[in-house]
Amino acid sequence: MTTTEISAPIIAVDGVSKRFNAGTDKEVTALENIDLAIRPGEFISLLGPSGCGKSTLLRCLADLAEPTGGTVTLNGKTPRAARQDRDYGMVFQQAGLFDWRSVRRNVELPLQVAGVDRATRREKAEEMLELVRLSEFARHYPWQLSGGMQQRVAIARALSADPSILFMDEPLGALDEMNRERLQGELLRIWSDTQTTVVFVTHSISEAVFLSSRIVVMSARPGRIAASIDVDLPYPRTAKTRTLPEFFDKVTEVRQALYGAPSDQAV
Amino acid sequence: MATLTLAPGTGWTERLLPAVRRALPVAVTAVVILGGWQLAVRAFDVPSFIVPAPTEILAAFGHDFGTIMSASRITVQAVLLGLVGGSLLGIAVALLISRLPAASAPVLTAAVVLNCAPIVALAPIFNNWFGVTSIQSKAGVAAVMVFFPVLVNTTRGLLQVTPLHLELMSSMAARPRQVAVMLRFPNALPYLFNALKLGTTLSVIGVIVTEYFGGPSNALGVYIAYQAALPRFEYAWAGILVASALGLLMFGLVGWIERLLTPWQEPDHDDLMS
Ligand SMILES: Nc1ncnc2c1ncn2[C@@H]1O[C@H](COP(=O)(O)OP(=O)(O)OP(=O)(O)O)[C@@H](O)[C@H]1O
Ligand SMILES: [Mg+2]
Repeated sequence: MTTTEISAPIIAVDGVSKRFNAGTDKEVTALENIDLAIRPGEFISLLGPSGCGKSTLLRCLADLAEPTGGTVTLNGKTPRAARQDRDYGMVFQQAGLFDWRSVRRNVELPLQVAGVDRATRREKAEEMLELVRLSEFARHYPWQLSGGMQQRVAIARALSADPSILFMDEPLGALDEMNRERLQGELLRIWSDTQTTVVFVTHSISEAVFLSSRIVVMSARPGRIAASIDVDLPYPRTAKTRTLPEFFDKVTEVRQALYGAPSDQAV
Repeated sequence: MATLTLAPGTGWTERLLPAVRRALPVAVTAVVILGGWQLAVRAFDVPSFIVPAPTEILAAFGHDFGTIMSASRITVQAVLLGLVGGSLLGIAVALLISRLPAASAPVLTAAVVLNCAPIVALAPIFNNWFGVTSIQSKAGVAAVMVFFPVLVNTTRGLLQVTPLHLELMSSMAARPRQVAVMLRFPNALPYLFNALKLGTTLSVIGVIVTEYFGGPSNALGVYIAYQAALPRFEYAWAGILVASALGLLMFGLVGWIERLLTPWQEPDHDDLMS
């Protein structure tokens, strides 16, 4: 992938640290000295055990939290400026739809906030719903949808304003295995359709391998980057990809980066 | 949820049937209660100054129909004025203190405490302030009674938004005004309507009780108190039943407006009125 290597990073993280409750006995170093450069069009997974700082890192990128040290640059701007310019879309672990809005009007939300006129945002929302295959549910209310469908609406919402970056914090964590794998497939399709740069938080190894072009493995206490592993399985990836020996090799490689070399010891 | 169709009802029968199904239990209950009441009064020969039979009340109602209806009109005006006035005031103060988080806690605490006070006890004082025959004295008591639940509930609704929703709005760089209009207001609507439904009953109580302490000679509360003093209890009962019907009617009206304004709410449980 020589072409991507020469392009400038769309996201640059330089020596970022995040300390909560500094100076008190509850001090937690969630992130320590994180360096990371993400190129346009990459699908990056942040993978690591619970509490290692994945969400914190993502929130620092999205300007929802402020690093206590180091700098973050998005599209050459500060995270604050990038947020103000609506450069990114965000999908949280819970769908977080507005109960009082129909599915279509939920998807319109970022456009409405940005002051886009009614006709345009309606058209755009319908296009997004087609992308996540929920067109016929446009007029439903969130409570009438299953959890997986709600999460697809949240993805459509995050994409509706055409952001160049998509942040996702365990968006599929609450789903069952079948829905999860189906949505993983859809996510890759959307990613290749929209050319978005994705930063995806997960603690599932196989999910990270299936989706990502690169996996950033994090370790806990303090949160550090333990490894950065390129996943060179060709796209488009399908159900068959999950059965390939290369897939399992990659899973093993990532697992070793997480836990160290395999041994006979029980874990 | 098994079915997800929101298609409008296709035929009259399909639309009518649920209405009938909802109304039927209420009608049956009413018939059983009234029938039992009538039988009991007749069987035990209860004197009508203790409890008159439904037929006697009906006859009294028929006899005094014109008087009772014109009395109801006076009373309904006061009830509506009190309900609307108290609600608007409650909403206004809620909007104000939700903007000032430092003020909201003490104001809410005070409101909750005052809400426990028997506000109807203020009735004679309001009559003294605004004049016994004025509509302001009746509506005033009702407004004060409505004010507190509306204030408390609306403030809760405005403040108790999901942190996730706030973060979402912030990730989209929403301005505070947009957060208010797109998130806080719709979030507060169901809270507000719960308070309003409570408020209809309170407003009727406030007005009628204040009228007990004196009012324009043709108000419902005055009528009830006067008939009871005569004593013509079947007429008093007719007035009381009309007052209850008024409360019910207004509760239903608020419920209907609620369904219009909050169409996203699951049609369910607390919707007895339809
Ligand atoms: N607002 C906060 N105040 C104090 N400590 C916090 C706060 N947010 C996170 N932390 C701490 O920072 C560390 C990293 O948390 P973070 O939520 O980023 O982990 P995570 O990798 O996303 O975990 P999970 O996979 O369980 O979501 C944890 O030890 C957590 O206790
Ligand atoms: Mg997390």
